[in-house]
Amino acid sequence: MADTLFSSHLAFLQRLGPLQRLLPSIFVFAGFAMYQPTVISTGNLWNIAIQTSYLAIFTMGQVIVLLTAGLDLSIGLTVSYVSITAALAMMQAVDSPTLALLIFLSTGLMLGAVIGAFNGFFVAVVNINPFVVTLATFNILLALSSTITDGFPVSGFPPLIGEALVNTEIFGIPIPIVIIAALLLVVHILLSRSVFGRSLYLIGSNRRMAFTAGINVRLHLLGAYTLCSALAAIGALLLTARAGSGEPNFGGSLALETIAAAVIGGARLRGGEGGVASAITGALFVTVLSNGMNLARIDGYIQQFSIGAIIILSLIVDRYSHSNRSS
Amino acid sequence: MTMGVSTTIRIKRFLANGGLVLLLIAGIVFITYLIQPRILAYQNVINVLRNTAILSIISMGQMLVMIVGGFDLSVGVLVAFASIETAIVMGWMLQIMPDLAPLAIVLSVLIALGTCGMIGMVNGMLVAVLSLSPFLVTLAMSSVVAGVTFYITKGIPIYGMPESFTIGFGRGFIFGVPTVIVIGLATVLIIFAMQRFTAFGRHVYAVGSNPVASRQSGIGVTRTLMLIYGISGVTAALTGVILTARIGSGQSTIGSSFVLESIAAAVLGGVSLMGGSGRAERVVAGALFLSIVSNAMNLLRIDSKFQTLVLGAVLIAAVCAELFLKGRRERG
Amino acid sequence: MADAPKLLDMTSITKRYGPSLALDQVDFDLRAGEIHVLFGENGAGKSTLINVITGNVKPEAGKYILEGAPISDMTPQQARNLGISAVFQEFSLIPDLSVEENLFLGREKSRSGFLNKAVMHREAQDFVKKLGFEIPLEHQVSDLPRAQRQMVEIAKALFGKARILILDEPTASLTDADADILFDLLADVKAEGIGIIYVSHRMREIRMLADRVTVLRGGKKVATVDGTDITEDQLVEMMVGRHVGELYPKITHQPDKVMLDIQHLSSADGNVRDVSLNVRSGEIVGLAGLVGCGKGEVGRLVFGLDEIASGRVSIDGSEVTVKSPRSMLRKGVCYFPADRGTDGLAFNRPIRENASAAALDLKSIGGSGWLHRSSEASKVRTVLEKLHVRPLLPEQLVVQFSGGNRQKVMLARGLMRDLKIFLFDEPTVGIDVGAKVEIYELLRDLAQGGAAILLVSSELPEILNLSNRIYVMHDGEVVRHLEGKTRTESEVLKSFFGREKEGVT
Repeated sequence: MADTLFSSHLAFLQRLGPLQRLLPSIFVFAGFAMYQPTVISTGNLWNIAIQTSYLAIFTMGQVIVLLTAGLDLSIGLTVSYVSITAALAMMQAVDSPTLALLIFLSTGLMLGAVIGAFNGFFVAVVNINPFVVTLATFNILLALSSTITDGFPVSGFPPLIGEALVNTEIFGIPIPIVIIAALLLVVHILLSRSVFGRSLYLIGSNRRMAFTAGINVRLHLLGAYTLCSALAAIGALLLTARAGSGEPNFGGSLALETIAAAVIGGARLRGGEGGVASAITGALFVTVLSNGMNLARIDGYIQQFSIGAIIILSLIVDRYSHSNRSS
Repeated sequence: MTMGVSTTIRIKRFLANGGLVLLLIAGIVFITYLIQPRILAYQNVINVLRNTAILSIISMGQMLVMIVGGFDLSVGVLVAFASIETAIVMGWMLQIMPDLAPLAIVLSVLIALGTCGMIGMVNGMLVAVLSLSPFLVTLAMSSVVAGVTFYITKGIPIYGMPESFTIGFGRGFIFGVPTVIVIGLATVLIIFAMQRFTAFGRHVYAVGSNPVASRQSGIGVTRTLMLIYGISGVTAALTGVILTARIGSGQSTIGSSFVLESIAAAVLGGVSLMGGSGRAERVVAGALFLSIVSNAMNLLRIDSKFQTLVLGAVLIAAVCAELFLKGRRERG
Repeated sequence: MADAPKLLDMTSITKRYGPSLALDQVDFDLRAGEIHVLFGENGAGKSTLINVITGNVKPEAGKYILEGAPISDMTPQQARNLGISAVFQEFSLIPDLSVEENLFLGREKSRSGFLNKAVMHREAQDFVKKLGFEIPLEHQVSDLPRAQRQMVEIAKALFGKARILILDEPTASLTDADADILFDLLADVKAEGIGIIYVSHRMREIRMLADRVTVLRGGKKVATVDGTDITEDQLVEMMVGRHVGELYPKITHQPDKVMLDIQHLSSADGNVRDVSLNVRSGEIVGLAGLVGCGKGEVGRLVFGLDEIASGRVSIDGSEVTVKSPRSMLRKGVCYFPADRGTDGLAFNRPIRENASAAALDLKSIGGSGWLHRSSEASKVRTVLEKLHVRPLLPEQLVVQFSGGNRQKVMLARGLMRDLKIFLFDEPTVGIDVGAKVEIYELLRDLAQGGAAILLVSSELPEILNLSNRIYVMHDGEVVRHLEGKTRTESEVLKSFFGREKEGVT
């Protein structure tokens, strides 16, 4: 009896879940809008939509490893390294725009997958703490991306890149949003309807249980890290195309931002909970916040401060919301 | 047959208990010496020892946090924060009491150590009382403190510290030994004595090894954790103060590399990632190893940017070696 | 005895964990110089009551009076200072510290801030001499065997000035000789006027030691009775709430061909050595032994959870290489771990996902790589109904359910696919009697349906009543194989300490 009452209440909350997670974004947005009306302009709304989608694809990668009770600190440097290397590779074929585009995309994706597989190998097969592995990868990639071009951006892209990945619109929607939305849809289906996705949730909730139930834990973890870095690489390619140059400094604080967004979006740090909705709602919140602060001309350093403070707050909220259910 | 096995075990045990790091240090020094004999020149040795001392200080705090099962990622920004705080406070103090430079120096250093200790304790409180993930708490705290640091300075160095601080302290000598090395040695000795000879030291191991049993044995787990994170804040600040004195200005951009370096020194020094074990003297060997690697790379004219790469690789290799030598592997 | 002063007086203690009441208005008292036995099944509330007394758990309601003074908010530290000393089943020792360091943990002797190691060492030595049994003061705890850790644990509790001593199944991993030393010691302790709370369900000990016995069932107190004139059957009936005969179903074993054959199996960690046993289809084979004798590890080895050093495993007549749980499931073997928390369940995932976790590679559920969610849901529902999971809410998180239902959800995993061999490791730990009976009935149905079942259990009555044959292990080895009329309690107990080694087939 008590069980049923409790469950109907819970089911209601779960149904409301994603919507409830939108509330903070709406409040913050409304707050800034009152203070600075340009926040509601059409131009800025598109701006928010585009930035949210970029951050959402990175956060999606982070959510996938958080699901398995891991994390990826190297995600930001993955973005930098992919950006600069894919740009460099493409410049070799600058005379043939189509070939250049192909090289750009394939190099980027491949690098992302390799970096992810590297992380995944040490986490899953050698069984090292993901935090240490990805911290080390962070530093290795930092060295690589700052030495390849001595820290200078790679520019002079053929216009086709911009047309294909930035400026085209489909039914009036900018192409990066379309690409990212399509990818997120694929990830959603993968997480909710595939054996792979199901296995990630079980591994994250209890790795030993998953092993005992006959799930190939190592293979799935390897897959999770590879997928995470591959998504980061796709995001990196889209960002690079938008900037029109390969940038060694793209992803500095991305690890923190994506973890913050994921947690705010409802992913659980100890694994087993979270999904595409967490990535989108979390990314929206972080974007609305920094967009509002930019328009309100709040110092960038205070923004950094606020992100840290918000993470701590969201951690506390995360703790209480989850512990209420599991004590 | 049995003899053979026990010899392998003995060798493994020797390597796992610090032998590997010492062998590697000897190997690197030897090879570098063949190519560039300057590695054993007096000035270079002092240089390496000074860097070792600076890294050892901050690694002491990191080690303690790791013994209680956490990580402290905020040590990097605390170095920068302590640096600008020391410079700013020292500037004020000198304006208030121009004739009392020594007092101004001591007070501003103590204030910097105290503030960073408090920030550390806030980390500890969030970890202990709310049982939040230590590394996310300290990562977020990094963002908070870095925001404050840059907001105050806008990234511009802060000058105006007396020579008695920059030259007398930062570049000075005590009985012919560089002050920095003396401070490093003193810090390590204090932590060493704490680990070996005080009840608190034992409680730290106990809390890291089995928090539930520690609580049942009447140890104040929350208090212990807060103190440990506080100490980590203080050692980070001390490193910041020393660097400030040596550079001669308060810098908001220094220190970020210490996060990885201190964790690497601790791991190389045999601190378990699972918590519960780790000794000060062995962490110093880890710090010495890292300083020698970077010194050798400088002497061999390898691009300094590659040093972070080597550091990352060394960290992974060290953890792999720990797993292999201790044979602690789980299936699945 | 009855007029001795009350050390401890607790009334109407209530403690709730999520949906279930761990303690429901329990009264309990302890007099100076008595041994008061707490008796009940796992999950009856004994541990919770002890944890309330020691301040590790805060009750929602109830009165707690210690030596006449009411206590409102007990903490572990305060309990220790007031002379309450407890030995828990989960070890409270720090593995990375030495025995001596553990003895003094939280009460180190210092002089001007520094540890006074010489004084501590002398005190520890004096104490060991008084104690009358050997504990190696210098050794690191992680190097000691389980039985010795238990002695250290007891020594630690007696060290210092105890007024109340709490022992939670202290003999579970002790040899008879060590247990006798302990009983002598307890007599001395009693004589000093210390009150002892003793948790046990071994009749021999209760007969020898108990002044009074309090029986708990399902978080409620059943009765407090005099220890000297109560019979075993009466106690067991109070414990389970029904006649002993009704607890275990009648099972018709029809042993056929050998399905699982283990030859000379040894584990890499040395906890299992040269174990040979077999299980036939249509029968339940019991595996008994003391805690830590290696009986639990046998199932883990066969299922690929722990590493095998040497030996052969044959399934249905053909030898197999044990690679991983995945490969063993495909060969028709399923192992149900003893520890639902660490190996058994994903607590923050729904029941449905837990139940189908071992069947994701089946064609009807997810063989193509994509899940067939409706067929998964209906199959899970069928299995949960068969297991009498109530309420039947497959989308609920496991964490919201109580012990019995959690265990059934874990067992559901093995019923989702077609399996021939089942390895049960302590299947009824921490669950209520109703669920127990249902699990026994499941075992019966499986065995009568032709499955081969290995039942590992520390509950001797379970082994005796359900098994067709019994193997007894001691110190990592199988020391006895009992069939037919020799399957008696006294025969099994005789082998618990490895005294006799007989031909093992």
